[in-house]
Amino acid sequence: MPAININGKDHSYEEDRIIEFAEGLIGLPRLRRAALVESPEYAPFSWLASLDDDEVRFVVIDPTEIYSDYKPDTVEGSDEHKLRAIVKVSSDWQKTTVNLRAPIFIDEETKSGVQVILADSEYQLEEAFPLS
Amino acid sequence: MLVLSRRVGEKMVIGNEVFIEILSVSGDGVRIGITAPRETSVHRFEVFAEIEAANLAAEAVVDELKDSALKDLSAHLRNKNQ
Repeated sequence: MPAININGKDHSYEEDRIIEFAEGLIGLPRLRRAALVESPEYAPFSWLASLDDDEVRFVVIDPTEIYSDYKPDTVEGSDEHKLRAIVKVSSDWQKTTVNLRAPIFIDEETKSGVQVILADSEYQLEEAFPLS
Repeated sequence: MLVLSRRVGEKMVIGNEVFIEILSVSGDGVRIGITAPRETSVHRFEVFAEIEAANLAAEAVVDELKDSALKDLSAHLRNKNQ
């Protein structure tokens, strides 16, 4: 089973966790293949790790698990899509934020992903976690 | 960068499917019409640049300090759900 190394520890993932990004991510157009890697010690966070470039990885989260009324609606048939939002990790855990303005839509059937910049800027680029 | 000159009413095409038309010019502003497939996103550059910067800032060089902070946060969130 393939694995990625995070801070010296290997985390394996299933082949069906590999996502193809036809257009890459915003600003990273060459990031075409990435694995969505889960690991219980980081849950609810997971890792989106580039398979083309070992150095490139993101911490992501399903935003609907944290913000129950987060309902971006730009992708056709978005009910069948998984949502992942990119997390900006801070060394102060209370300052870690989520990008709700440009989430990633993943089509589970086709294993394809796209990062969409939402039209309404109601959603924050750096949304704080509800901590209390 | 490819530089083209167009007059109002004239168009150009990028690839096979993205069409740009100059609709009107007023002062130093220009109105541009874009026809593209639904899957092709079109954004003002500043909007794109902001997201690009956010992605690059978030790109995880998660060193030990951040790794431990991330685990603290994840534990906190899991506890909240119980």
